Amino acid sequence: MLYYAWTEALRTLRNRRYTIFVVLFPVALYLINAGIYGDQPGAAGVRQSVYLMVQMAGYGALGASMMSSAVPWAQERRSGWLSHLRITPLPGWAIVVTKLAIAMLLVLPSLVLVFAVAVLQQGVSMPLGRWAALAAVMWLGAIPFVALGLAIGSLLSPEAAQPAAVLLVFALSLLGGLWFPVEVMGGTFQAIAELTPSYHYAGLGWSVVASGGLALGDVLTVTGWGIALGGAAAYLYRRATVRA
Amino acid sequence: MNAIVFDHVSKRFGDVLAVDELSLTIAAGATVALLGPNGAGKSTSIGMLLALSRPTRGTIAVHGRTPERAVLAGEVGAMLQQGELIPELSVRELVELVRRLYPAPLGLAEVLELAGLTELARRRAGGLSGGQAQRVRFALALAGAPRLLLLDEPTAAMDVESRRRFWDSMRAYAAGGRTVLFASHYLAEAEEHADRVIVIAGGRVVADGTAAQIKAGAGGQVVRFALGEQPAAGLDRLPGVTAVEVGAGIATLRTRDTDATLAALYRDTALDVRDLELSGLDEAFLALTGRS
Repeated sequence: MLYYAWTEALRTLRNRRYTIFVVLFPVALYLINAGIYGDQPGAAGVRQSVYLMVQMAGYGALGASMMSSAVPWAQERRSGWLSHLRITPLPGWAIVVTKLAIAMLLVLPSLVLVFAVAVLQQGVSMPLGRWAALAAVMWLGAIPFVALGLAIGSLLSPEAAQPAAVLLVFALSLLGGLWFPVEVMGGTFQAIAELTPSYHYAGLGWSVVASGGLALGDVLTVTGWGIALGGAAAYLYRRATVRA
Repeated sequence: MNAIVFDHVSKRFGDVLAVDELSLTIAAGATVALLGPNGAGKSTSIGMLLALSRPTRGTIAVHGRTPERAVLAGEVGAMLQQGELIPELSVRELVELVRRLYPAPLGLAEVLELAGLTELARRRAGGLSGGQAQRVRFALALAGAPRLLLLDEPTAAMDVESRRRFWDSMRAYAAGGRTVLFASHYLAEAEEHADRVIVIAGGRVVADGTAAQIKAGAGGQVVRFALGEQPAAGLDRLPGVTAVEVGAGIATLRTRDTDATLAALYRDTALDVRDLELSGLDEAFLALTGRS
């Protein structure tokens, strides 16, 4: 089963769509934006280079968690690879647990790379405890998105899951303020943003870098979405794999 | 112990009755062909044996257990008709992945050798031809050294040479006392590679026995040749012949014993026999499955 997990990780890391859009894209965007605005004061009361770091790490983690779950899962259901796994002694629960664990693991490169570039290129520095807290919230906060990815993969065909996942990543990034601060987009937009898990996910990161603490509203919203999407994913996963 | 027991098994998909009160028993160690036209219920039966679907009625036992338990215990391996591989993984990684899920698998080198994949081990699955991918799926089916190997139309995408090698490997694997059940609509394959042939049509068993018994049961084999202007008199008295038809210069003999009929045809008649054709199981099979 460990080898199964290893091959799951390997196949995603070898997938160009994952490496380019999810790992390299946020780093490149960070370098460009921070290069231009890095020294200005940022929206959360920190330097712009720090604000952007959270933004891009959040975007990368969001993309990684959804892209590494939704599309491969939809493809496996359709292509018969899932059937092949199900006729081995691997129990059904082990498949979904492995997928969750690996999707979570594959969130880390996006986070770590953006952090590393921020430190090396923009000279961002924080106490070690704050780095640890930031990594922890941004990692665990990705759980709702992994669940959303699995739900999409269980619900849709591979042809539909691909654009659906991409659109959702874009929409959640945009609404969550992972590309521009939501404040620049007007009142209605901001009201919608307040409801999304991505806005509060980024909020977790911004409060950690600004104050070392967390806002209760962010924690509750992300947790609530995590429970709701986790439930939906579990239900849809069961429905997709039930033996007729 | 019996490897497989179907006890009055039916499977319904909506309005379609894919398997209809199917009962059969397969002894451990046998190599059995499940023969039938498309839609006969072959894949549905194999799917139920693998616990991929459940019977609507009736019970199935694999080595005396439910299919679910047999699969979890690693007793079953299968090559399904549909089953793409993970394109980003290499042949070796795929085989290793499946091999390690079984409690007592074959060695990696042995699996690659049996499936003729030793040279392709480092290739990514995404770059394989259809026939090569088929060999990988065969490798995945036997990697865990299952006691029961199920093959659903295993040679569908293979050329003649790959087929020959495939059957050689299958025999080598079956020789260890393992049970093999393969579905096919290639009749010659069933005749050549199985100890026993089960013909199904419309979800029911329509014939069951050795290939020779099935041919005899369906009215024998057929010998056909170009007669031209030569007289047909006496053909009906050749040994084994049960019926003679002559039309457009072609003689068609139905026989219970092809060897005796042919020997007599050449030895005891003065006929100039041209364009000789023999057919057996094909016609037997059409007669059987068309009738039901």
